[in-house]
Amino acid sequence: MSQIHVERLSKHYQVHEKEAGLGGSLRSFFARKYRTVKAVDEVSFDIQAGEMVGFLGPNGAGKTTTLKVLSGLLYPSGGNASVMGHVPHKRETAYLKQFTLVMGQKQQLMWDLPAIETFLVNQAIYEIPKGDYDATLKELDQLLDLGPLLKKQVRKLSLGERMKCELAAAMLHRPKVLFLDEPTIGLDVTMQVRIRDFIAAYNQRHGATIILTSHYMADVTALCERIIVIDKGKLFYDGNFRELIEKIAPYKILKLQLSTHAISEHFTEYGKVESCDGVTVVLHVPRERATDTAAHLLTQFKVNDVTFEDPPVEDIIRQVFEGNRK
Amino acid sequence: MLKKYPTLLRASWALMLEFRGEIVMWMMSSAIAFVMLLVWLSVAEANNGVVNGFASGDFITYFLISWAMRNLTAVWASWEMDAGIREGRLSPMLLRPMHPVHWDISQNIAEKALRACLVVPVVAVVTLFVPGVRIDWSISTVLAFGLSLVGAWFILFWSDYLTGLFAFWTSQVEAIILTWFGIRLILSGMIAPLAMFPASVQTALYWLPFRYTNSFSVEILTGRISGGELWAGFAIQAAWGLFFFVVSRIVWKIALRNYSAVGA
Repeated sequence: MSQIHVERLSKHYQVHEKEAGLGGSLRSFFARKYRTVKAVDEVSFDIQAGEMVGFLGPNGAGKTTTLKVLSGLLYPSGGNASVMGHVPHKRETAYLKQFTLVMGQKQQLMWDLPAIETFLVNQAIYEIPKGDYDATLKELDQLLDLGPLLKKQVRKLSLGERMKCELAAAMLHRPKVLFLDEPTIGLDVTMQVRIRDFIAAYNQRHGATIILTSHYMADVTALCERIIVIDKGKLFYDGNFRELIEKIAPYKILKLQLSTHAISEHFTEYGKVESCDGVTVVLHVPRERATDTAAHLLTQFKVNDVTFEDPPVEDIIRQVFEGNRK
Repeated sequence: MLKKYPTLLRASWALMLEFRGEIVMWMMSSAIAFVMLLVWLSVAEANNGVVNGFASGDFITYFLISWAMRNLTAVWASWEMDAGIREGRLSPMLLRPMHPVHWDISQNIAEKALRACLVVPVVAVVTLFVPGVRIDWSISTVLAFGLSLVGAWFILFWSDYLTGLFAFWTSQVEAIILTWFGIRLILSGMIAPLAMFPASVQTALYWLPFRYTNSFSVEILTGRISGGELWAGFAIQAAWGLFFFVVSRIVWKIALRNYSAVGA
């Protein structure tokens, strides 16, 4: 049985609309106009225990709303959701003790006190036995290097340091299911890698099920084999990330550095020429023929250097979204 | 749940110590009691020293205890709820296996402990050195006062919490909070002792919750109420406390269904 089961899940909002200006304000005061927004529209998927799934979609696609429904923060407008056998919106204590939702932009740490105070409060709230608390904190300290941060006032921590403490606060009760909503937002590359490594290690050590949303494709490519893509509340891809990339972008980028001058027409038979300035040529060649093509080109031209690259994942995902919207 | 309170209270106390300057400023805002005292002393002076049975010493005693009551029952859960919903701070609290109200309660208790450190010496000094101040310090009266203080806080906390719950439906909760406070300021006896009101208003106030958030406790400590009247007062106070508690619980459940958490 799946650990997370979502069936035709919907969440609709009534949004108040007001025209600009004084006239708009007056009209809105006497006759309010409402519009229904389908933030999540009959989405279905299943996730097995221990899976790490990337949840992708443009801004406003319904990713965060779905995670909030799965966390029990929001009542669904329709459909069913079940996580570890619990119905999230019932908010049973047994359920609340087994998952965590980390929102990159929202915090649970007490701003004016050191992070250790929030940890102790969480220990009491989640009723974590002293021995377990000490062991978990030690493990989190090893993974996130928290030591010097714990006794500093939260408001005096840097963004990255705060995020590390946020993650630790959210993990003290050793959740079995993690909903991570933009956990690396605003962090520098080094800190992003650190957080990514932590998520992977936590998944391996505890077999936790993880749903991750991120606008940084590097997070998703590093952590998730499977992705779910939604837009305008509707699910339109659920499957292997690599397969999606190969389907949308069935080519590799071949970059040649020539020692003699050449023109783009020399390369059109090998693939699509993205650019050619005479000595540097960038070609899109079919994946299955990439190696043969490179070998052939090396025999035909005087090549100083040759490199292969996968197309940028951001571009592929953008193409997916644009294709869906058309 | 009670096992969690020592930790919550310790963290709340640490938090309140961070805000100690702000708390002193809030306490100064309650000095309206002393402004009203000056007004009523002037009125008494113009009326041969006595107004509706209140002499100068009675006014000083009344507004001193009223000031202490204001400080020992101040609540702000509605402001927290309003800001928590608008700024998204409520969501992380809802994810924990504990009703967020326990955090509000523990912070309120910690803040009261801090305020008491300042209120008690002020009351002691005024009682000892200002002539005419008459407080009944008998054990039974002090116990009754203590009980009524808890009852007053209970009504105020849950009525304030209920007001804050409107933030689930409207962004205009501040207006409701201030309107409720304005009505309470007048009808609870913070501006004038209820004895100064017309008899018909006093009768109505006997049954409404306002008297039991301030005046009732002052009446107890000044020895103006005892016996059957005292027990009847406790019964009405308890009924109002229970009413606001139960309604808050019901509205909370409905509100959670309505929680949109958009962008929060």
